[in-house]
Amino acid sequence: MSFFPIHMQSNVEPGSKPCSIACAALRLACVLWALLSLALSSTLSSAEVAVVLNSGEGTISIIDKATMTETKRIPVGKEPHHLMATQDDQQLIIANAASNELVFLSPLTGEITNRLGQISDPYQLGFSPDRKWFVSVSIRLDRVDIYNGADFKLVKRVAAPKAPSHVAFNGDSSLAFITLQESDELAAIDLKTQTLKWKIPVGRMPAGIWVTPDDKYALIGMTGSDYVEVVDWRNQKTVKKIPTGKGAHNFLAMGDGKRVLVSNRVSNTVNIIDQTTLAVVDTIGVPGGPDCMELTRDGKQLWVTSRWAKKVTVIDMATKQVIKQIPVGKSPHGIYFISHATRK
Amino acid sequence: MFEWIFYQLADRFAALHDLVFESAVLPLLHYAGLGGFAEQAFDWTEFFLIGAIEITLLAIVLGALEKWRPVEAQTDGQSKKVDMFYTMLQRLGFVPLAFFLVMIPFIDGLDAWLRMQNIIPPKLEDALPFLNGSPFWSFVFYLVILDFIGYWLHRGQHKFNVWWALHSLHHSQRQMSFWSDNRNHLLDDLMIHGAFALVALLIGVAPGQFVVIVVAGRVVESLSHANLRLSFGRMGEYLLVSPRFHRMHHAIGFGHEGRHHGCNFAVLFPIWDVLFGTANFENKYPATGVRDQLDGRNYGVTFLSQQWLAMVRLVQSLRA
Repeated sequence: MSFFPIHMQSNVEPGSKPCSIACAALRLACVLWALLSLALSSTLSSAEVAVVLNSGEGTISIIDKATMTETKRIPVGKEPHHLMATQDDQQLIIANAASNELVFLSPLTGEITNRLGQISDPYQLGFSPDRKWFVSVSIRLDRVDIYNGADFKLVKRVAAPKAPSHVAFNGDSSLAFITLQESDELAAIDLKTQTLKWKIPVGRMPAGIWVTPDDKYALIGMTGSDYVEVVDWRNQKTVKKIPTGKGAHNFLAMGDGKRVLVSNRVSNTVNIIDQTTLAVVDTIGVPGGPDCMELTRDGKQLWVTSRWAKKVTVIDMATKQVIKQIPVGKSPHGIYFISHATRK
Repeated sequence: MFEWIFYQLADRFAALHDLVFESAVLPLLHYAGLGGFAEQAFDWTEFFLIGAIEITLLAIVLGALEKWRPVEAQTDGQSKKVDMFYTMLQRLGFVPLAFFLVMIPFIDGLDAWLRMQNIIPPKLEDALPFLNGSPFWSFVFYLVILDFIGYWLHRGQHKFNVWWALHSLHHSQRQMSFWSDNRNHLLDDLMIHGAFALVALLIGVAPGQFVVIVVAGRVVESLSHANLRLSFGRMGEYLLVSPRFHRMHHAIGFGHEGRHHGCNFAVLFPIWDVLFGTANFENKYPATGVRDQLDGRNYGVTFLSQQWLAMVRLVQSLRA
């Protein structure tokens, strides 16, 4: 293998006259350039990356977290919407809804390591807390598919009309909670029997769902409205509506066991909710349709996919101001980096 | 340089798309209680904007070309206006959106049923895994396959009398222009869209840049219908459907008649006509239309009369 690009090699025909000084200088420059690139790439590969799913163009953006610039855009499959890490953070699992597959990649480099086919229309994913079950939600086909958490073998497909959107679990992994976006309901699936246990009506277009660390309440983002609904899931009853912003959509825990973030896609804000008082304690402006979020472990930066703006917005959590908007691909949805805040 | 220009344009377009969506479409959706369809509405907004830009550019470029080397004088302004209306309905996304809303419950229902039988419809990438990592080849493969299917659907439109009763509306434009491509009966459009939706179930949906496939196809089809005396030359005529090639398809005595119910059925790539013996490379620009128009058959002047008369022909052909 040679360092020289093909068009340069073609200048040196066998039997041609010896290399001139200019030619030698050019070769030297090429060698230096190659060495420099090698050095740079090794530096880059050791730097932390953020992985962003561009759901509208079937790619992932790899962002150098330190410089906040996109370094690579890799084709991954059709309609990658959500991603999650394995429990040990060793692998990222990307759900390619329209490709019926899961793609595994390294969270350190963004390199694809494996593909697992025959996973029907995976939109949103979740492992039960005991890792026994892997649940894949198919919003298009009104199905919740329950797999064995250890080997991704299908256990059962459960019909869940209409438009099952997001999934969360109770603390002892006996129930999977599913928001039904088009029928405005919350469903609970018994994981042991893989059957629907109950359904209750909630507000308009429920999407993101989060179970509080005390395992008492399910918080649900009302994407068709402007609040977060608090459901006492043991009694199957709504106990509170927390006004947030229009298009309340998705949640992310802040890692302190106390606060959780909710993104509001229409009002372009993110709220901080105190999980003990169940009230909004702060509001952050995030332009471009804030969707999925990731918070740094030190809590200093919030990274948000701005769905409509083809950007990732980075927020300074001290000042609550936008630090930078990083251009990525079309319709960025899921986002992940390894040094994230604990999921509680 | 070109890459830089491309990215600049793509950036500007993304900003426009975002602006229109966030300031007009999304608030309306939310107000109507349809906030859950935001993602789909985002894509349709893009479709609409791309269509608007595409129509404007085509009107400028193809309009100039038609003035430069017209095949015939255009005297029927009314007929052209109706063709413009068809173009707007289709390319700004109104008709595709309506079909999408009508068809998607059936297609998704079938898809969901298959999966409950433990059948996950296949996709092209299962057979050709390298397409996963190559947007370019993925684009090429889907484009070629969809065009191949387009060729056979078009053969069907001419072969079966019932279908021809509808498709003859498209051929009834006797003064073709670049606006004529979308002059189709809505039921005919529905059948074609339905066929492509089933194809999507069989080989998987086209890749993320599907909209590029759609726009690339539409631009070539507008050009091929243009009132333009233009052939792509000896080699070019084999590579891409030219205004000359497609005019022969619309020509009375050639396009709909003969051994194969006509000639030059290809939508984008003439190679299908070459392979299946239906190509006609004669360097001619004959009069276009449907033969029975010479005997005075009326295909309608307004949009509604054209749609209605096609239904009448359909019933007649079913009775025959």
